[in-house]
Amino acid sequence: MSDPRLPIRCDAEVAENRAESGPNRRLRLRVPGWPGSAPGQFVMLSPGARAAVERQDPLLPRPMAVYRSVACDAGSEIEILFKASGRGTALLAEARPGERVRVVGPLGRGFPDPPAGRAALLVGGGTGIASLHDLAARAAGRTPTRVLLGARTASDLMGGADFEALGVELRIATEDGSRGARGRVTELLEEALAGTPGASVFACGPTPMMQRAAALAAACGAPCFVSLENPMACGFGVCLGCAAPRADGGFALVCRDGPVFEAGEIDWGRLA
Amino acid sequence: MSAPGVDSSVDLGGIRLRNPVLTASGTFGYGLELAPFLDLRRLGGIVTKSVSLEPRSGNLPQRIAETPAGMLNAIGLENVGVEAFLKEKLPALPEGLPVVASVFETEIERYARVCERLSADGRVAGLEINASCPHVKAGGIEFGQRPESLAELVRATRRVSRLPLLVKLSPNVTSIAEMARVCEGEGADALSLINTLQALDVDVETRRPRLRNVLGGLSGPAIRPVALRCVFQAARAVAIPICGIGGIGSAEDAIKFLLCGASAVQVGTASYLNPMAAGEVVDGIAAYAARHGFARVRDLVGALELPG
Repeated sequence: MSDPRLPIRCDAEVAENRAESGPNRRLRLRVPGWPGSAPGQFVMLSPGARAAVERQDPLLPRPMAVYRSVACDAGSEIEILFKASGRGTALLAEARPGERVRVVGPLGRGFPDPPAGRAALLVGGGTGIASLHDLAARAAGRTPTRVLLGARTASDLMGGADFEALGVELRIATEDGSRGARGRVTELLEEALAGTPGASVFACGPTPMMQRAAALAAACGAPCFVSLENPMACGFGVCLGCAAPRADGGFALVCRDGPVFEAGEIDWGRLA
Repeated sequence: MSAPGVDSSVDLGGIRLRNPVLTASGTFGYGLELAPFLDLRRLGGIVTKSVSLEPRSGNLPQRIAETPAGMLNAIGLENVGVEAFLKEKLPALPEGLPVVASVFETEIERYARVCERLSADGRVAGLEINASCPHVKAGGIEFGQRPESLAELVRATRRVSRLPLLVKLSPNVTSIAEMARVCEGEGADALSLINTLQALDVDVETRRPRLRNVLGGLSGPAIRPVALRCVFQAARAVAIPICGIGGIGSAEDAIKFLLCGASAVQVGTASYLNPMAAGEVVDGIAAYAARHGFARVRDLVGALELPG
């Protein structure tokens, strides 16, 4: 798996916070001392650090994939793509440039490097797309890479143009057919697997999507890695809230043992 | 950076602490998980995740849910078991850091066996009997809600251990003072309070409870006033020291507990959102004592000014 870096906790400064598409937003944060992150790692973001007095409601930080980790003149920046969907993300959506957002990270174990010489199929659904950008960037230089992105409708789709800019092969599916193929992204995966023997699959999205991707990959003997998105309170292995049932019994912690797992490690029936 | 000239040390039922701030069981793992963020040696001590005789795998998800200014959990006492705790977890902690081992079981006899095992290891500074976990099918709170069974539990664990014995009480009782007196009467050295409040939340879209276990324990700032009330009442009922717990995330929060009669405090849920919270509480208490002219932090204990 990817090289683990020791996490830091700091107050990051909002560099930019803009509408991405539909309900999605792109948040760029200046993170002093950011040690860099591996593809698939995540951060915990607390909008609570915005005021001098700690916000106590909503209480918990939100786990967010590091969409992009960028070195720049002013230090390190990270980009987060998120959907404003609840109380915490609504606050993040309001954070203005210059305001502070507390960051804990990088956390978790990210994606393994796509093996050279094997086609890499990256499958992202909804906000799960945010976990795949840096993996696509790494895969693109090593091996033929195809990125399959899915959303309910065209305006929900995040990150499309960035993937195009990486020079990977990009295919899109929307459930209402407003962009790309009409249907689910797993239908694109089914086609891609049939035409790409020996491919590896890397998936992040809603649980049913990942479960389907895992089943399709297993049916043709393709290695499959998934990034889970369970709710969690801490992100570093002490709340035990993000437990995912293991296929061999017991639980794995999504924050510490994942978020990326080999699909076969997970007991999908008990996860849902 | 503790404030110069302030003596922060306290005694918690025979455990000498360099400052009154511990971390609460179940919110700090076995200690090392937080080491990237916080020098553990700055803490007064840590209370480790409750251990049982055998490993427990815990409840199925969903295990947690955010609520107004707090959260629910029903983890189900997932833990590595007492043997792995002694062999793998305890030796990895820094020397000189007081470690209080929290103990959970489903039967009194089993509680006693875990306590006996822990007491044989010189690295354990004290025991905290979890008589109040609200989200397991058996054990925990069922001992903490009836005075007779609480007495039996404290007696049985007291008999097998000479270590300082703390009993962690549930707020889900009619009289916290009565429960405190029961523990004191059976030889407990100190009390930890409160554990979480038994609670429930519902997702109206699915018409299901938000936790798979249906019921969970409420923690976080939402419970702080309830916890303060319990500490206040217990402190007036017993002479043994009290370790205050419940929604403490800042020095100001902690000082309220000291004023209401707690000799020490535990930082719990706050560590989830701020893994450096306990260290900040340590510094903030000393700074407060210096600012208000208290040479010793322990002089703050019970210093609440009540209306005449």
